[in-house]
Amino acid sequence: MSETAAGRGWGGQDVRRELHSELLEINMGPQHPATHGVLRLLVRTDGEIVHGVTAHIGYLHRCAEKIAEGCDWRQWMVYTDRFDYLAPINMNFGYAVAVERMLGVQVPERAEHIRIICAELQRIASHLIAIGTFGLDMGAWTPLLYCFREREEILNILERLTGGRMLYNYFDIGGLRFDAYDGFERDVLAFVNIMEQKIPEYDTLLSYNKIFIERTADVGVIDLATCLAYGCTGPVLRGAGVPFDCRKDDPYSIYDRFEFDIPYGEGEQGTVGDCWDRYMVRMREMYESCRIIRQAVDALPGGPVKAEDLKKLVKVPQGSLYTRTESSKGEIGYHVFADGGSKPFRTKVRSPSFSNLHVIEKVGPGMMLSDLVATVGSLDIVLGEIDR
Amino acid sequence: MEATAIHALLQSRFGDAVSDYVDGFEKGSLVAAGRVAEIAAFLRDDPALGFESLMCLTGLDWDGYDASGKGKSVDILGYDELGRPQASDRVGDGDLGVAYALYSHRHGHKHALFVRVPRAAPEVASTAAVWPTAAWHEREAWDLVGIRFAGHPDLKRILLDEDWEGHPLRKDYVMPGAWQGVPLDGRDYAACKWDESGVTLPDDVKRPDDVKQPEGSQRPEGSQRPESGNQG
Amino acid sequence: MTQDRNDYVESVIPPAGYDPRREQCLDFHLAEDLAAMAGADDKNFILTTVDNLFDWARLSSVWPVTFGLACCAIEMMAASATRYDIDRFGAGAFRATPRQADLMIVSGTVTAKMATRLVRIYEQMPEPKWVVAMGSCAIGGGPYFKYGYHVVKGVDFIVPVDVYIPGCPPRPEVLLDGLMRLQDKIRGRRDDAKPPKWVADYARKIPYVKR
Repeated sequence: MSETAAGRGWGGQDVRRELHSELLEINMGPQHPATHGVLRLLVRTDGEIVHGVTAHIGYLHRCAEKIAEGCDWRQWMVYTDRFDYLAPINMNFGYAVAVERMLGVQVPERAEHIRIICAELQRIASHLIAIGTFGLDMGAWTPLLYCFREREEILNILERLTGGRMLYNYFDIGGLRFDAYDGFERDVLAFVNIMEQKIPEYDTLLSYNKIFIERTADVGVIDLATCLAYGCTGPVLRGAGVPFDCRKDDPYSIYDRFEFDIPYGEGEQGTVGDCWDRYMVRMREMYESCRIIRQAVDALPGGPVKAEDLKKLVKVPQGSLYTRTESSKGEIGYHVFADGGSKPFRTKVRSPSFSNLHVIEKVGPGMMLSDLVATVGSLDIVLGEIDR
Repeated sequence: MEATAIHALLQSRFGDAVSDYVDGFEKGSLVAAGRVAEIAAFLRDDPALGFESLMCLTGLDWDGYDASGKGKSVDILGYDELGRPQASDRVGDGDLGVAYALYSHRHGHKHALFVRVPRAAPEVASTAAVWPTAAWHEREAWDLVGIRFAGHPDLKRILLDEDWEGHPLRKDYVMPGAWQGVPLDGRDYAACKWDESGVTLPDDVKRPDDVKQPEGSQRPEGSQRPESGNQG
Repeated sequence: MTQDRNDYVESVIPPAGYDPRREQCLDFHLAEDLAAMAGADDKNFILTTVDNLFDWARLSSVWPVTFGLACCAIEMMAASATRYDIDRFGAGAFRATPRQADLMIVSGTVTAKMATRLVRIYEQMPEPKWVVAMGSCAIGGGPYFKYGYHVVKGVDFIVPVDVYIPGCPPRPEVLLDGLMRLQDKIRGRRDDAKPPKWVADYARKIPYVKR
């Protein structure tokens, strides 16, 4: 069991020694308000101290990888939406890039720009939920309502653009299904203008709230070595102090044309890699997403949004490729095996939350039970992509 | 480092255990199933290679794979439009496989490892000790494809329940009709009636009593409930 | 063209006896509602059964259990959050324990592993209890029908369902509508569970939006 500060009581005394009791096994979930879905954590506790955590997943296993083998390349795009239902466009993006790389298709400029605008809008929407529900886990109900207010604005834009409110199925292999509506740029810019003003509001509401800092700083520290060993990516890895982001370090689409920074945890309120750092990385990423959106809207060219030389029933040449892109949760990878036909032979989805959740079994032991809730909340998991 | 150079380095170090260089969309090496663990440890620890990150581990079933590139691989079985499991007499053959996608943060290069194992004895050395993240990926490969990983600390099913029968991502997998009293096939939709008053469902809507409850809370093997003391 | 447009306008105009307050549960006056339940015409005094009184109380404060399964759970959250605010219809008190809840919104795909737990949660809820199947997965397996070896093809195989809400996922407005249909059902007016004819006609005549 790792020695952490969490084992200390308010007066600094060793709670573990003073209040020793027998181990108690309790189930958190699968129906539990703080597990963000149908996750089940089997927690062995000694009083308030966690001795061991075992994550049981699979309560939302929807067989998407089996379905991939039964439908053609374009059809499966619908199912990628439903992995991370908080950021479906980012899931679409990864799959589209994976298949396009194997096909060697050049996506038109306009489509690339609209894709990036959508993906960054979606990233903001996903981070808003992450921040809101994290606040909810910490006992702050109000920020959630503010977060949903802004999220509804994003959903409005995406609904006008794609026709769907939450799951879009908008990306297509070789481009987009249809062009943007007139006034899309105006709506997006109007939203970004509002959003950039709202982020300080969240900071006032939650980020620098003293109670919130007490609950999250120095809690659930995941250091860099653990992150690399357990394959943590996204805000979890960046919170540990590494500015690693697939958009910069393994570039795809046209992200290399835009100017943006990668926020990372610096241990402002406590240790590097604690819950507050992970939370703050998300908060600062929303700024960066706004920056990218502005540049993409400014540079938005005209022209087609679909690759022209692509048949309706695409056939991907034989071979395999692992492609990764940066979703809001981390690195979403598709390991695609093609046999040269119109159906994927095997498609494995490497979902970011899957690896991010695994680390809870490592860092969980030794912390207080309430800190476990904080840590799970700060990982920002979505069960749809863990179980697929 | 170039993928060919990595392959040559591996071959000079491990000899027969590293056979073919795979040159496709992704570059990699075909390695022997029994020696993956030591090759993985070398890939991670060698300063020139430095693969400290396992991006992805994929288990797959090569049964019915059309190697000619025409895409005539075997079709998988599903449920028909009435929700009945499709059956087939075909018995699966062909190898199972594992693919590893590696990345080095230090050097920024990638490499892939491929393993093929016979269907009768699908056993691969576990890399969970090298990359802890492989532990869950290997459990998933065991769960869905049925590949055993020798030396895995806790090899059991991860997504499906422990008493699930078969491994669903095998190409010859037949869809289940029910599990623990939970019906997984469809109802007889032809018997549904549709008229002005709405839809009348057939009389097969289950009652809760039909579903078997799991006995107690499912706890991992070896963990005991404390015999005495306060229990919440 | 003109002919069609006239038809269209006529069909939108509500029929004579249509009372919009019937469609908005909030506007129901206690006396009027109870009187309607008891079948009385005079609204000055209430003559009703205890059952009717209880039903009225139940439909005005349906407490759902916090039970999010998949994508639809996010729309359920959106329905309870700022813009849609399900609290206006008395159903915003999401309870984390099934023992305090009387409505289970099955919001998402029911898998085999989850089905056993779902039944347990259902059995822990006190009577009377209602179940809403939200989204196409909960209704009939949805997009996971053909190869979904782990997906239950409709939650009504496992627990009895009162209201089905279609969509993938349904919009929050549709969830609110489904809640009102459930309230109608609790009120005992099963006929009202169907939309009025003019609403159905209207829905049929929405012109196709060309993109």
